[in-house]
Amino acid sequence: MSQFNSGFTLFLSLIVEAIPFLLLGVLVSSVLLLFVDEQRLIALMPKNPFLGALAGSLLGFLFPVCECGNVPVARRLLMQGVSVPVAIGFLLAAPTINPVVVWATWTAFRDQPEIVVLRVVFSLIISTTVACIFSIQQDMRPFLQPALSRWMPDVMVQPSLSDTPALLQTGTFLLGQPGQPIAFDAVAAAAVNRPRPKPNIPWKDRLPLLLENMVQELRELGGILVLGSLLAAIIQVAVPREWVLSIGQGPVTSVVAMLILGGVISICSTVDSFFALSFATTFTSGAILAFLVFGPMFDLKSLGLLLTIFRPRAMIYLVVLIVQLTLILTLFMNLHIS
Amino acid sequence: MNPTSSLPRLRWSKLSEWMHTFALGLWGALFLYYWRSGKLGLLIHPNYFGLSIGAGFVLLAISSFNIIRMAKQQRQTDAREQHQTLLPPLFMSGILLFAAIVGFLIAPKPFVSDTAIQRGLQDSAIVTRVRPQSFRVNRSSESRSLIDWIRTLDVYPEPDAYAGQKVSVDGFVVYTKNLPQGYLTLTRFVITCCAADVYPVGLPVRFTQPKSEVPADGWFKVQGKMMTETLNGKRQAVIQANVIEPIPEPKNPYAY
Repeated sequence: MSQFNSGFTLFLSLIVEAIPFLLLGVLVSSVLLLFVDEQRLIALMPKNPFLGALAGSLLGFLFPVCECGNVPVARRLLMQGVSVPVAIGFLLAAPTINPVVVWATWTAFRDQPEIVVLRVVFSLIISTTVACIFSIQQDMRPFLQPALSRWMPDVMVQPSLSDTPALLQTGTFLLGQPGQPIAFDAVAAAAVNRPRPKPNIPWKDRLPLLLENMVQELRELGGILVLGSLLAAIIQVAVPREWVLSIGQGPVTSVVAMLILGGVISICSTVDSFFALSFATTFTSGAILAFLVFGPMFDLKSLGLLLTIFRPRAMIYLVVLIVQLTLILTLFMNLHIS
Repeated sequence: MNPTSSLPRLRWSKLSEWMHTFALGLWGALFLYYWRSGKLGLLIHPNYFGLSIGAGFVLLAISSFNIIRMAKQQRQTDAREQHQTLLPPLFMSGILLFAAIVGFLIAPKPFVSDTAIQRGLQDSAIVTRVRPQSFRVNRSSESRSLIDWIRTLDVYPEPDAYAGQKVSVDGFVVYTKNLPQGYLTLTRFVITCCAADVYPVGLPVRFTQPKSEVPADGWFKVQGKMMTETLNGKRQAVIQANVIEPIPEPKNPYAY
């Protein structure tokens, strides 16, 4: 009975502490959807792959969304012609490197500021590295889902195409232009991708929309928060302490265990620090960081979402890279820093 | 799409929408109820009361506005197209609603000695233990609380330095397996953020009363003197109790 009571108290406390941050995250992402013009922002992004990756990673400060909101945003950005390093940097880092999440992490780990700092630093390193690696691939379209790549502008393949004489290219062309025939695909794509102006919704109608979107997101994320808190509470009270300690105190096993947990539990990045907090006394700091860094980049929930952008093969590359980098960084932390 | 198949689906989605709107309101009400009944202190650190209370009001407001909106039957618009779901919406609404109802029916209780042991009261060698951040020395030994004692000992652990100092501390009683008969651990939980991160701190107490007068989980004020003893092969500061008197369980059981 006392186990049930303490489990229940734990469960409630996680929810009571996390919901304010969830509300804030949902509010911001809903406002973003309705009030911010992404086009102008894309125009400002640097062209250099490394700088682009860095800029994309830091974009989260302007688009504070958790990992449930960043995939749709990254999709929109890609469709509107943002470069690949920017999109991948944003995809991986925005759920962690944004004011709401940093504040929530600070709230949870006030006693261990290094967790807060290293969470940001590690996420930045991983997202920039992965984005740079992906930028080597000039034409990303074989990596992306056909549904998405069809909508992408042609700019990325233009240089390689122009090397071949027009006669040797395949495709549908428009003739009768002075100089060169124009590939029909490019025209169609350009037409489709002409920056879509934000639908001009009157202010009066935006508020109900905002409300509706918030309620939708709260249902999904709130439900996952409840399930996640329940799981955390059960692990805390039901799993024998010796097991938890023997796994949680090993520098390698603890990191691997938390990586798996982070991938499975799918808890939103605005509240995952409170979840991790319940493991802070039994798991190594590296393991806590592995959870906080890896979870927002990839989990079961985002698997489905990521597959709306990437083809399976590309997604496997992406996940393998993230896992390896997280493992290296957090193991280094366990073995050499703490 | 043929209209007969979409009709039940529409009805389900309406039901689910009403359910989670109601659930959000219920959560808001629950937060405010915890605040008014003083239960919030069991769950989170007082620094964050404001956030949770604010969230309670916001949830109530969102819920009420959404009820008005749904009652007016405004048309669904394209904000929804951005939304991707992992689990069926009705299931999510059900979970939210169910958890809120359970929250009203079962009151949260403070942690007891089982949790203190589970959370590592007896293992002193945990590498990740949250470190204390502050302590004050310019106090008479009697006015130190249990947590002040722990912090002082953490900074300067030599037990002989405190031998003979008078002690008067409050806490609850835990009997751990690694202490012999005639010893108890007077314990408090320390909270930094929410109940998920509470960790127990305690000092061993040597007492002469029959054990039945000092039951586990009971709250007591212990008055006595510090002395040095070797328990489990480790020299440590132990309280020699003169007086152990029962006190009512404090409304907020955590130390900060």
